Amino acid sequence: MSQQDPSTINGGSAVAMVGKDCVAIASDLRLGQQSMGVSNDFEKIFHYGHVFLGLTGLGTDVLTVSENFRMKTNLYKMAEQREIEPESFANLVSTSLYEKRFGPWFVGPIVAGLNSISSKPFVCGFDYIGCIDYAKDFIVAGTASEQLFGMCESLYEPNLEPDDLFETISQALLNAVDRDALSGWGAVVYVITKDKVVKRYLKTRQD
Amino acid sequence: MFLTRSEYDRGVSTFSPEGRLFQVEYSLEAIKLGSTAIGICTSEGVILGVEKRVTSPLLESDSVEKIMEVEKHVGCAMSGLTADARSLIDHARVTSVQHDLYYHEPIGIETLTQSICDLALRFGEGASGEKRLMSRPFGVALLVAGYDDQKGPQLYHAEPSGTFYRYDAKAIGSGSEGAQAELQNEYHKSLTLKDAELLALKVLKQVMEEKLDNKNAQMASVTKEGGFRIYSEEELAEIIEKLKEKEKEEGSDDEKDKAGEEEGEDVD
Amino acid sequence: MQAQNTLLNTEYSTDAQTEPIEHRFNPYQDNGGTILGIAGEDFAVLAGDTRQTVGYSIDSRYEPKVHDVGDNLLLSANGFSADGVQLVKVFQNQLKWYHFDNNKEMAVSSAARLIQHMLYRKRMFPYYVATILAGLDEEGKGAIYSFDPVGSYEREQCRAGGAAASLIMPFLDNQVNFKNQMDPESNGTKRRPLKYLSLEEVIQLVRDAFTSATERHIEVGDGLQILIVTKDGVRSEYFPLKKD
Repeated sequence: MSQQDPSTINGGSAVAMVGKDCVAIASDLRLGQQSMGVSNDFEKIFHYGHVFLGLTGLGTDVLTVSENFRMKTNLYKMAEQREIEPESFANLVSTSLYEKRFGPWFVGPIVAGLNSISSKPFVCGFDYIGCIDYAKDFIVAGTASEQLFGMCESLYEPNLEPDDLFETISQALLNAVDRDALSGWGAVVYVITKDKVVKRYLKTRQD
Repeated sequence: MFLTRSEYDRGVSTFSPEGRLFQVEYSLEAIKLGSTAIGICTSEGVILGVEKRVTSPLLESDSVEKIMEVEKHVGCAMSGLTADARSLIDHARVTSVQHDLYYHEPIGIETLTQSICDLALRFGEGASGEKRLMSRPFGVALLVAGYDDQKGPQLYHAEPSGTFYRYDAKAIGSGSEGAQAELQNEYHKSLTLKDAELLALKVLKQVMEEKLDNKNAQMASVTKEGGFRIYSEEELAEIIEKLKEKEKEEGSDDEKDKAGEEEGEDVD
Repeated sequence: MQAQNTLLNTEYSTDAQTEPIEHRFNPYQDNGGTILGIAGEDFAVLAGDTRQTVGYSIDSRYEPKVHDVGDNLLLSANGFSADGVQLVKVFQNQLKWYHFDNNKEMAVSSAARLIQHMLYRKRMFPYYVATILAGLDEEGKGAIYSFDPVGSYEREQCRAGGAAASLIMPFLDNQVNFKNQMDPESNGTKRRPLKYLSLEEVIQLVRDAFTSATERHIEVGDGLQILIVTKDGVRSEYFPLKKD
């Protein structure tokens, strides 16, 4: 194959959900080269202070873009003398992606976090050139996005407590990636509440 | 029949003014020249028994095949021009294998018999333009024995005329008249498979010119569990032995024996 | 070659077309829609939405595509609807002949094998459909058979086919076959044991699956037709779906 789609070479998926005074964000751990699995500890969730970013798509861009945002959020912190809030970070992601309108990063980002002042849960997603998709309930991204849409749309209910939100997002992710050859090989889930962040690795099937 | 021979004998598919197809009728005559074949259907399974004409002591008797397998659950006994049976059985095998391929189930015995009979009439052109396959009707009749889930053990008689009927017991071939009469006397619904084995050989023995042994007869059964199976010469010899013993018992006193049999049945 | 100058200079245009223009008839169309079959212990359901689309336009809001083909069999072929309709009709015709030849009802396993051959016969010009067959097996248990366009088939407990199959299928894995569900007492060492779902549970699952698919897929919606097969025969239910 001479021409290939950059967004499906390495595979991978991510999902974020809103609960009652909490949010959750999760991704699989696979990094592949087409059908070959290369790594099973490729985490696609990053955080900048209390803001969480999930990055799916082309592996090299995932790493580069995540580092870019580390730099930009550090500069923001020095200029503003405070951590960036999820809403502002979403706009930063959007503008950064659009800067590369004609030579884009091949990524599918999602953002999740609690606003540190209002404690309001926030999730949103983007296309690869920065169009923001604000959502009240959940956001999906990656090669298993169709499967994730099906899972989330049927499993999700509003105002879940952190434990129930964890179960819901985990089941959604697990069953979705099991129907996608390019995603899986482990998973990681963050449940974010006002006073703590719980990170869990999920035991998944390894095929 | 032969008195009415005329030019209507010529074309295989030409009716005589009396409304007969002579060539088909003659083909039935060919069967009457064949060796005797018997089929008996019981609730446990079907027995096929045939006479083999071992015409020379130098002939390898097991090269005479008058009972053939069609599928795991179906077998055929034949009488008449046995070479003609090759193409019929070939057709039956193709049909049953094809049915299994298309429907993933064993073909029904009646369906299979029907398909054999479809071929029997292909000496003329078909109604919907099928090609004429043969120059004459077949000179062989078949006893089709089989088992299917729908109707259990079944026995069919298929003729060159393309008609077929289901029988409890049927004899074809040169000794068929006597054999059929005897079967009619002896058959009853509660016959076991073992009974049928003995009955088939007994009847065969009566109508055969030569003395029955395990070389000039052949036997097969179709059951639900075992499917179609041709008996080995050893098995056949055993049954012949049993038959001899039974005949000795019955032969000792006819009057008493009849009464004894009835009593025996009650006990059974 | 003659085709070198396809367009000639005219009084309106001086552009000469040097590339030959290729015209090709595309014999296939995608009519969207989704179907879903689930087998229970003594029943099977086959459901499909009733929307029919071509591109972004909705050609019909009520075009049922799940068929009661007789002998307690349900059949649906989703994808290019013309091919789907043809497949069902050819099957019904074949079924009639099966009755003439064999004097009995066709078993669901036989129907499945027959459909494989009907599909594979067109290996080089396939029926462009995802096919699902539902019925009861010889033991009276619910049976779902699913097919790819050229006849590869498999018996399953459940299967989604068509436009939103990828949305529904993982949901079915999770809710019918209890995939990724563990016995809470076992600390993740024991899987939740499988059990047959009741008809009420299955219908609720089907409705949930379709409302979800309708929400996220533009080619799914308008109405939900569910055919239920039990030993007593075939029953039909209809539920409206969102029309947007």
